[in-house]
Amino acid sequence: MSDDIIVLKDLSKIYGNGVQVRALDGINLNIETGEFVAIVGPSGSGKSTLLNMIGLLDTPSSGQIFLKGIDVSRASAGERAHLRNRELGFVFQYHHLIPEFSALENVMMPMLIAGKEKAEAQETARELLVSVGLEERLSNKPNQLSGGQNQRVAVARALANGPSIVIGDELTGNLDTKSSDLIYNLLRELNRKINQTFILVTHDMTLAEKTDRILRIVDGKLVCELRRKGDLFIASEACELGEDGGKIKRS
Amino acid sequence: MQNGIIPAFELSVVSRHITYRKWRTFLSVGAVALAVAISIVFISIQNGFSDFLFDIVFRFLPHITVSPLEGENYIHLYRGIIDTAWMLPGVVGVSPSLAATATLAYKDQSDNVAMIGIDPAEADKISEISKNMLQGDIGSVLGGRRIVMGQALAKKLKVKMGDTVQARFPDAVPVNLVVSGTFSFGYKPVDESVTYVSLKTARDFLNEGDVVTSIDIKLKDPFQAQAAAEQLRSYGYNAKDWQQLYPDIVRTLAFERTQNAITMLLLMIIATFGIASIMNMLVQEKTREIGMLMAMGATPANIRRLFLLESGVLGLMGAIAGCALGLVVSLQLRGVQIQSGMGETMNLPIAINPLDFVVFTIIAVLLSIVAGYYPARKASRLDPVVAMRG
Repeated sequence: MSDDIIVLKDLSKIYGNGVQVRALDGINLNIETGEFVAIVGPSGSGKSTLLNMIGLLDTPSSGQIFLKGIDVSRASAGERAHLRNRELGFVFQYHHLIPEFSALENVMMPMLIAGKEKAEAQETARELLVSVGLEERLSNKPNQLSGGQNQRVAVARALANGPSIVIGDELTGNLDTKSSDLIYNLLRELNRKINQTFILVTHDMTLAEKTDRILRIVDGKLVCELRRKGDLFIASEACELGEDGGKIKRS
Repeated sequence: MQNGIIPAFELSVVSRHITYRKWRTFLSVGAVALAVAISIVFISIQNGFSDFLFDIVFRFLPHITVSPLEGENYIHLYRGIIDTAWMLPGVVGVSPSLAATATLAYKDQSDNVAMIGIDPAEADKISEISKNMLQGDIGSVLGGRRIVMGQALAKKLKVKMGDTVQARFPDAVPVNLVVSGTFSFGYKPVDESVTYVSLKTARDFLNEGDVVTSIDIKLKDPFQAQAAAEQLRSYGYNAKDWQQLYPDIVRTLAFERTQNAITMLLLMIIATFGIASIMNMLVQEKTREIGMLMAMGATPANIRRLFLLESGVLGLMGAIAGCALGLVVSLQLRGVQIQSGMGETMNLPIAINPLDFVVFTIIAVLLSIVAGYYPARKASRLDPVVAMRG
């Protein structure tokens, strides 16, 4: 049995009715369970679109998306919402925490959506916030927390329902180096401990080179793939790294 | 698995929106509360007014009156009609009367009045005269040349109990009458112009034989009057039920009801628009949040339910506040004295009906949910990716 958690087959996304923009162009990609993947590329290259496809936030114009071997590319809005709730966790550049709710309540939210008992959700949320080092901040609202702390709450929230995949879109984009490292270490620890799959879109090559696999997208096409081997990255045959991959140590 | 009827997720978001955004909540609840309170006050006044009018009709006026046939001044064979009337179902009183116009004079005072010859026992069943007697009793008219008059008329004529007044009128036989009682129905036009004598006294005054001008009938259930009058008409009698006798009352009530219903509906619609616009603003304001909730797995149905629930809860809160406010204002208005057109003062008639509170609460909640429908639909149709961009 294949260990691929995500399989994309000839995936394309075209926006617009009159003037058409091809955001993704025939992407073929397999991501295995427990992989820590970074998607890089210049602005407007289609990396966020790809992430939205993997995260079932958007639907493809053509091609297929398999999540745990099931074709979800034509799932209804309701079915995709259920899958997002149970299988996926999201962390965005902006934390998107609900300002009226405390850190604890924000983390409880995906569990309440899933219909879990309030007491159970509260206990799990508390444990998650403790694990991200915010045990002292459970009842603080987002405006009472720093940017890094809010992002850690967002990470805890993404993990609330024990998702198979955690998706991060520029999740350290608004953070200083210290907070950024803290978030990365947190994710990496989870990845090692519970073999959780992480897929991050980033502009930050320092973060990207900490991952196990780097995918580079240009003009909606997957143009380069690097896989970690020890301290080095091994490039695929047709790899054109471009300027933003200049510092990566490769074989 | 969901907890209870209202899912915990929707409930927690709604309760937080409501408690956190106090000013917005105050505006929404206030709009509904005012509409409900005004409607409650309106309906209480209208109920009071209806009760007031029906009270007059049902307690003091006959439910059916048989009058002389067209072209005739009197009913001659009235005893047969009385017997027929008693055979109708639910009849509690049948009172023959002979009405005449008379000029009553005492010393240098005089006034034109309606002098009604009655059988006191039967007339009392129709108009509860004895309950409204201030001095003497209505049965005293049977004791010869006696007259019972309204207290207001007695004041105008400056007569007291035991004084003798003279009744006269062109073509009538002048007669001296001793004042043997006074009454007050609390209705100035009646108290100033109605007098009662015996049937015999009235006949002597008019110089007529065994005739009457009307037969008044009272029923146990006033709403059976139409059918009973119809039956009497089928026997060839000129019978009219209270809705035909007092069309103004029926018309006034219908007009009042329609006017109030339109006003209340408009008020509710205004309040509904208030909620709709506030909910619409909320959706605009919360677009990013909605996008994130969707990313977390909230389905379009969850989002729709969330906003509908919020509208409904705001409507319920407004309705409860409005009912309380409406009750307080209605109770306060009970003590307000109003001046009637006839120069008399009376308490503003207010009738508080608990059922109205239930009905207005249901209407307010339903309209609020309707008001939330468009914003809820709009929110549920947002594309999560676009929504998160704001």
